Amino acid sequence: MRRIVAALRWVVLAIAIAALNAPVIVTLITSFKSDAEIAENPSLTIEHPTLANYTRIFAMADRFDIVHYLSNSLIEAALGTLFALALALPAAYGMVRFRVGLAWLFPAVVNQRAIPLIIFAIPIYLMFQAAGLLDTRLGLALIMCLVNLPLVLVLLVNAVREVPAELDEAARIDGAGSWAILLRIVLPLVRPMLASATVLAFIYAWNEFLFGLILTTRAAVPVTVGASFFFSASGGGVRWGVAAAVMMLSTLPPLLLGLFAYRHIGRSLTAGAVKG
Amino acid sequence: MTARADGWVMIAPLTAFLLLMLALPFAVDCIYAISRVSFETLRAPRIVGLQNFAIVLRDGEFWGAMLFSLRFALLVTAAEILLALALAIFLAPLLARFPWLMAPLLLPTMVAPALVGLMYRLVLHEFVGAVPYYFVLLTGDSPSFLGPDSAFWTLATIETLQWTPFALLILYTAYQSIPTEVREAAALDGPGPWQMLRLIELPLMRPALLAVGFIRFIDSFRVFDNVYTLTGAGAGGSTTTISIYIYEAFFRRNDIGVAVAASMILLAVAFALLTLVLRWSERPA
Repeated sequence: MRRIVAALRWVVLAIAIAALNAPVIVTLITSFKSDAEIAENPSLTIEHPTLANYTRIFAMADRFDIVHYLSNSLIEAALGTLFALALALPAAYGMVRFRVGLAWLFPAVVNQRAIPLIIFAIPIYLMFQAAGLLDTRLGLALIMCLVNLPLVLVLLVNAVREVPAELDEAARIDGAGSWAILLRIVLPLVRPMLASATVLAFIYAWNEFLFGLILTTRAAVPVTVGASFFFSASGGGVRWGVAAAVMMLSTLPPLLLGLFAYRHIGRSLTAGAVKG
Repeated sequence: MTARADGWVMIAPLTAFLLLMLALPFAVDCIYAISRVSFETLRAPRIVGLQNFAIVLRDGEFWGAMLFSLRFALLVTAAEILLALALAIFLAPLLARFPWLMAPLLLPTMVAPALVGLMYRLVLHEFVGAVPYYFVLLTGDSPSFLGPDSAFWTLATIETLQWTPFALLILYTAYQSIPTEVREAAALDGPGPWQMLRLIELPLMRPALLAVGFIRFIDSFRVFDNVYTLTGAGAGGSTTTISIYIYEAFFRRNDIGVAVAASMILLAVAFALLTLVLRWSERPA
């Protein structure tokens, strides 16, 4: 009986993994099929695997420049993550150690997660237009920073709380200022949580879509929006093999990060949800 | 007192950023919500009072979108919690022995919802999609997954499949962190596994359950990306979520005042819900 239940656990696990990841698995399989095979054989087997779809994407850079979209996403997500960390770390330290803003700023940021950001989309569009930030990487990086602030701030406030205040006091007696203490004492100690926050913030920023759709048109289009251009550009006659390869390339960076840094992701998601 | 001044300096950049990116847009929202304004008259909105709200509240499409989002969020949240709870408890022994198994389970949450929507265009395509292919193979026929009758259920299934892993992670962590002594002490009274779950484990997991329920309700209520990329307002307007409604009013119909008024109503609902949940979660169990 025990053995049967143990075996059943593996079966349920396998089914769960397959069902939850179904869209990625089907897309991955399709991306290795030729157009002819896709039309004939929509099943999950590949008769004649080919890399032609992937080479074809890079050959059509004049109409659909995936390298441009990927580098936009990379730069925007990296900048957005960096901004969020740079704003949140000093703020977290100031809030925890000096009790400044803990009562109003912290809840204001954390509760932002409960607000559908689309309600700010319209004025932000107009502000960006006035400031010349429409369709710029910097503009979208600022949005990604905004999207990530609630999570990053919660994680860093929790991390700073774990740092013993005696360390600060000892350094202060030695004559160190608040910023020196933050950078030399606190920063190294919160580095693990900083790493976890960075991984998740980067993934969320990479996956952002709504503001990319509204605020970019050409120069700063992120890959989530770019991939949807590919579909609308090809109208009714989507070439599914190439489309599948486009989707795989667009989702590979966060997917690989997630696979290798799952501990970081697990830690930051759990801490962010329960303590937030 | 200089240290406290340092504290103010440290929170200043974040505060300034939020004033600029949230408070200022909110102020603009408040003005546009009571104005007649279009792309041509952005800098000279004409105040008209509560007219926009009246238009929104009398618009059948607005209520349709609200109802769609509400049904969608309730169904998806409940399904995710039940599914995740069952998986977390049943798979707990495996996940405790092989923690890396969490990685493939969490993978769906790493994919951009917009891309998931695009992927399902392929997966559900009537000629080249794998799902219709196997439906025909097994039953001889395949439903039209994105037709007006089934689009709601298809979207709800897609959303549930993508975010159950998030609920699973949080609920599994909460389940694992129930102290062994608590279980041992409770076991002395000889409860069955269901009693153990209902009387001991679930009450101890209450904060995690509330957090997951709240986060997932809000996120699925404001769902946009995967719906937009998979069906748009599609299927005869049958998949207009509240976010899609606002987007269309602004960018397709140039009804800025109406779009903003609808946004403000959404904000009020989100805020009311937040207050409610905060009260509820602070109440002792």
